[in-house]
Parts: sequence; structure tokens; C-alpha cells
Amino acid sequence: MPRQQGAGFALSQRQAAVILLVPFLTVYAVFLIYPFFKGVWISLHDWNLMAVAFNPDAKSYVGLRNYERVMWGHNITWGALASPGFQIIGLIGILASALLYRAGRAGKVTALAMGLAALLLFVLPGFHPGEGGRWYDRRFWPTVGNTILFVGLAVPGVTITAMLLAAALDGETRAKAVLRTLFFLSQVLSVTVVTLIWQIMFSPRQGLIANLTELFGGSPIVWLTAEGFAMAAIVIATIWWSLGIAMILFLAGIQDISKDLYEAGALDNATGAKAFWYITLPNLKRTITVVVVLQIILHFQVFGQSHLMTGGGPNDTTQVLVRYIYQTAFRDSELGRASAMAVFLFVIMGGFSILQFVLGREKDE
Amino acid sequence: MKHAIIGATALTLLATGTMAQEVTLGRFFGDCEGAGTDTKASVGEACIIQSIINAADATLEGVSVNTLPTDWGNYYDQIKAAYAGGTPPGVHVMHRHRVPEFASIGALADLTDDLEAAGIDPSDWEAAALEAVTYNDRIIGVPMDFHANLWHVNLDLMEAAGLVENGAPVLPSSPEEFLEHARAVKEATGQDYLAADFAQFPIGVRVVLALLWQQGANIFDGDTATIDTPEARNAISAITQLFDAGLADPQLNYADSQQAFLNGEAAVLVNGTWVVDFYSAEAAKDDEGLNRYFVADFPTLFDEGATWADSHMWAIPAPLKANAPDTYAAALQVLAFINDHNIDWARTGHMAVRTSVLNSAEYAALPHRDEYTGTADIARDTPPSVRYGAIQDVLNRELQAIWLTGKSVDAALADAQADVQDLLDR
Repeated sequence: MPRQQGAGFALSQRQAAVILLVPFLTVYAVFLIYPFFKGVWISLHDWNLMAVAFNPDAKSYVGLRNYERVMWGHNITWGALASPGFQIIGLIGILASALLYRAGRAGKVTALAMGLAALLLFVLPGFHPGEGGRWYDRRFWPTVGNTILFVGLAVPGVTITAMLLAAALDGETRAKAVLRTLFFLSQVLSVTVVTLIWQIMFSPRQGLIANLTELFGGSPIVWLTAEGFAMAAIVIATIWWSLGIAMILFLAGIQDISKDLYEAGALDNATGAKAFWYITLPNLKRTITVVVVLQIILHFQVFGQSHLMTGGGPNDTTQVLVRYIYQTAFRDSELGRASAMAVFLFVIMGGFSILQFVLGREKDE
Repeated sequence: MKHAIIGATALTLLATGTMAQEVTLGRFFGDCEGAGTDTKASVGEACIIQSIINAADATLEGVSVNTLPTDWGNYYDQIKAAYAGGTPPGVHVMHRHRVPEFASIGALADLTDDLEAAGIDPSDWEAAALEAVTYNDRIIGVPMDFHANLWHVNLDLMEAAGLVENGAPVLPSSPEEFLEHARAVKEATGQDYLAADFAQFPIGVRVVLALLWQQGANIFDGDTATIDTPEARNAISAITQLFDAGLADPQLNYADSQQAFLNGEAAVLVNGTWVVDFYSAEAAKDDEGLNRYFVADFPTLFDEGATWADSHMWAIPAPLKANAPDTYAAALQVLAFINDHNIDWARTGHMAVRTSVLNSAEYAALPHRDEYTGTADIARDTPPSVRYGAIQDVLNRELQAIWLTGKSVDAALADAQADVQDLLDR
């Protein structure tokens, strides 16, 4: 069949590309680029949510004052061991990345990224109020700490559980297919439903967990209002909720591993747990990186679980960054201050996105 | 074809001309499916208010009322975001304590000169109700109730502990007596004396505030926070002595504390006026748990009577009055309808705001009404502030830290003092 071309409408590849990209770029610019820069712009203003809506002139430019008010304080000093926990882990991280690089176990970029993260962990927690000093906002850094703790618990929790489930449920039997669907189902629920289910589960009066504890002669734990358990409770709910996607990614990764490897392994007596450890795990390295980085970016944005299950309590132990931003913007109407915190969160997540980009591009060593 | 287009346009115009004026309505109080339009039969806040709204929708000619979906816990955030986005509901409920925040930026319509024409008579409102909806000498809302913290009492448990005289509970008059009564109930029945939501909503805060006011103190004065005081320590220790002695459980949230009371596991529940009809209905059921239910005024443990109180009121956004006079007129009709049904709203247990309703036989005949008549005289709240919500959250966080996490009273009060001062300084 002869190719027909509309006379006069011949497009070069470049023109076609531009035309095809325009709709996406327009949406992207209007709904992502513009709001982002507007957010940064708002963060440089004293901007009351309601007052500005009624009188656009009710805002005033304050430069970086919002950032200072949120992150800095009066008479702040730095000490090498001001918060030993974080800082020692940071030091160990710096050493470890140097050693791994020297030993050839980590690529240049990986070692650099790890080293940089460790350096930040050593430097940032070192700031503290000196004598007579205080943070302008004494809740901000503890809230950042809670968010990091949440990410630190939820990400390994999700990754390990999802990987074990994927390994167990990889196969063609009907039962495995049903179980795969069941484990994925929780992912499709909204955060309100998930938190409602888990509030009932954790309830000391009617909850399944309390009933089980009582069955074994224990007294029920009041999960959501006990200082030591509240964070664990929202982490457990989160793991249950966000297993699905990670499990599917791992399943895809596992199915990519050549069956020959397992057959060869079986000849050397490597089956079951041994095969998982020596064959599955090393071959999942890339998938693990993707899952971990995606989960980190996702869980830094935790909001619903803390907002709906514990209200940030008790004593702020489950107060997380997005909830603080939300409260500052909508309860306190301080949009400028909230935007400054949001920009801070963006920087953290941007850092991890760059890390993922770098790790994804790095060739297998 | 031309005729068809003209015909269709004419029909559309006719249809819009006769279509009812839609008024969107924002409210909290929770959901009620199938509330119906019988304002005398519904039970509980959610169903009573929805039945009044449904009745307005059915009765008012040319007006249709559309209740927007809102979530109680995030209600004000939603309303503020709607205002900021230029799409506030046509009418919405709010608390008296939020008036400074909304009225100070001109968000609420001035209703002063339009009420009478809409059939609302402000002279029938109690003085305190008029004061609640007045900002800078202008009326910016229609009051719906006074509500306050009450002592909901299980008479069976109190009687077992010898704490009933002449059919009414004996209430403590000092922190020491408070502890004695609690011990007596525990010894006689094995049950807790007191239950309340000390772990979720700020009901525990309201209890401590009442005990603070009873000593003539308050949490701030003008621009100065006054939280870290001996009076605050007295108020807190009056409560924590019960927790420490195992006579009350600070870890119960709203639902759990209410359930404990209804199950007969606590002699007293501190909660608001909004549950009187619900608890009456529960007590009337022929089952285990709460049977003889009594409502008492919040007792005076220190020098003067005081209990936390607030008001629900309805407001119309200022932009509606300025830009959509037809919708504004319809919104006023809705408010007039709600005002006319003040007696039905009072069935919840709330105190009415209209003098004519307060003096009516129907009002006096409401269940338990004669048991908490003293509450109106001791009703109090913190000083007005545009940062009311944030201040309540600080107090809730720090007080909960004391009884849930063992934070020292000194540290909690110092932190609360610094945080509230920080809010007042902003």
C-alpha cells in the first residue's frame, strides 16, 4: 500500500516530538512546576491563609525569616557529640563508606552518596542551643526526628516482609495466586480505611490484639496512647498497608532470575533458605535498591496514619513532618511558615530521588 | 433546527427560573443516614441537626439545602481552605471560640440589619447568646446553643458507695473529698470513680481549665501566658491523684471512656451536654450497665464554680452577601428555620439560646433538664484568641504527656508556657 502523506503537513521528528510533548508539558507546568515555585515564593512571605484570601495585600515579604524561625534558634552552637546516638552512627557511616570503596565493594558514586549522607548525620544533629539559648520552634527538629524514625522502621519493615512474601508466594499454584491477591488487596485501601481497621485492631477494649493478649493471660496494651507503642502501631499499620507494591516488584524481580541458576544451585545442594540467600538475594540487588528508595520517598510523606490514629501523640512521639506542615498551614493559617517546612521536606526527598537516579545509572560492579 | 434550539433554550430558562435556590451547608456533629424530616423523633446530635436540615429543605419554598460532606476532626481546616479557595458553604456551623479568627478578617457576613426581615428576633436571644455572636457590635451569626461539661452520673454505683442523698449524687467540694469519693466507689463496687477522654480530644484539658478557673486563674492574660503557676499545679494534681491511686484510667479515649460509663464501669463520666439524650436512651434500655442515669453540674472543688462551656452558632460567609444576594436571602431563611427549631436542638441536652424556649413547658419537660440548671451560671471559656485551636492543642499535648507518658508536671507546664507564649507572640 502506498504511503500517503498529507501535502504540506509533513512534520520533522523534532516538530512531532514537540507537539506530542506539549499537552504533557502544559499539565506538568501548570500543576507541578508553577505550584512548586509558588510554594517557594510563599515561604518567603508572612502569609496568612485566610487573610490573604480576603485581602491579597495582607502578605509581607520576610526573606528567609520563616526558615530561620522554623529551623534555627537563639544562641545555637555545634558540638561533635551533642547527640551521640546519631553522630556516632554518622561517623561509622563515613568510615564504612570509605572502607567499602577501598575494598572495592562499593562504586565511587555509591560510596560518595553514602559518605555524604553519613556526613550530614554527623553534622546536623550536632547543632543544639547553647547556654540560655533555645530553638525558635522547639517542635520542628523532634518532628523531623520522628519522621526519620518512622522511615527507618517502616522501610526495612516493608522491604523485608515484602521480599519474604514474594519469595514464598512465587509459583503457579492456585493457593499462591489467591494469597498474592489477598496480600496486595490492602494496598488499594485508602488511608482512612486502613487507619480505621487498625484503630479497631489496636483498641484495648474491643481489638483483636487485646483479645489475643488476654487469651494468653496478659493485660492489653493501649497501643495508640502508650509512649513506647504508638510509633510501633503506626509502623505496623503502614507495613500492612504498603506491602503490596513492594511485593509485586519483588515478584517481578524473582521471576526475572534464570531458573538455570536454581537448578545449578540444587545440584550443589542449595535449596530452600540456602537458595534464597545465595541465589535470590544477590540477584534482587537492583530491585531492593528501587524498593528501598521508593519507600523512603513515600514514607517521608507519612501523614494519615499519624493524623488519624494517634493525632501525633502521646507527647508528640508520633508527630510527623507533613502533619506539622498541615497544622501550621490550616489550623494556624501560617502558610509562609508551612511552606518553608515543605521546602525542607522537598530537599530531603529530592536528595533521595537524586540518590535513586545515581544508583540506577551506576553499572553493576 | 432553529426552532428546536430556541425551544430548548426557552425550556432551560423556564426550568432555571423555577428551580429552587440551592444553599450549601457545612457542619460537624457527625453523619446521620436516614434522619428523615421529623425533628421531634430523631436522637443524638447528628440525627437531630440533620432532621432539622432535611425539614428545612422540604418545607422552605424555593430553597434547597445541600449538606456538604465534612469531617468533624478536620472541620475548621476544611472550612478555612474553602474560604481561602473562594468556595465557602452558603451557611456553616461554628463555635463561639472561632469568632475572632473568622470575624477579624471580615470573613463573616454582617447579619445585623437583615435578621428581622428574615423572621429572626435577636431580642428573644439570651444576653450571653447575643454576646456570643456579636463582634465589634455587629451580629455575625445566629446562635444555636450553650454547651458545657457536665458530670454524667451512674446512680447505682454512687448509691453502693453511699454517695446518694435525696435521689441526687453527693458531689465533692474539695480535691481531698474528690479522692475520698473515688476511694469509696472503688471499695464498694470495684469500679472506677471517674472516666473521661483524657487521651484524645481536649476533654481532659477542659477539666483542668475548669479547676483552674475555680481558683480565679486562667491560661493567659492579654499577651502573656500564665500557665506555669501554682494554680495549674493544684488543678492537675486534683486529677492525677485519681490516676496515681488507680481510681481512673487516663488512657481511655472518647469512645472507650463513653463505653466504660455505659457499661457501668465508671460512676462518673465527664462529657458535654450533647450526650444527655443519648445516655438517657441507653439507660432506658433493659440491659446490663448504666441504668439509673443522673446529670449533675460540674462540681466546685476550689473557690468558685466554673465549667468549660462554648456555643454553637451559624454563620454566612461575607462574600455570599456581597456577591450573591439571592443565595444570601435563601441562606437567611435556612438560619431562621434553624432558629425556629431551637427547642428541637435542645433535645440533645444542649441549653437553648432563646428566652421563649427556655421558659417553655416543653423545654422544662426535657429529660434531666432540672438536674443541671446551675450550669448556665458557671459556664466559662478561655479568653478570645485567633489562635484558640493551636493553644488548645498545646495544652492537650502537654497535659496528656503528664498522665500518659509520665512527663514531669514542671517540664510540661514550662513547655506549655513557652509554646503558648510563642503563639501569643506570633
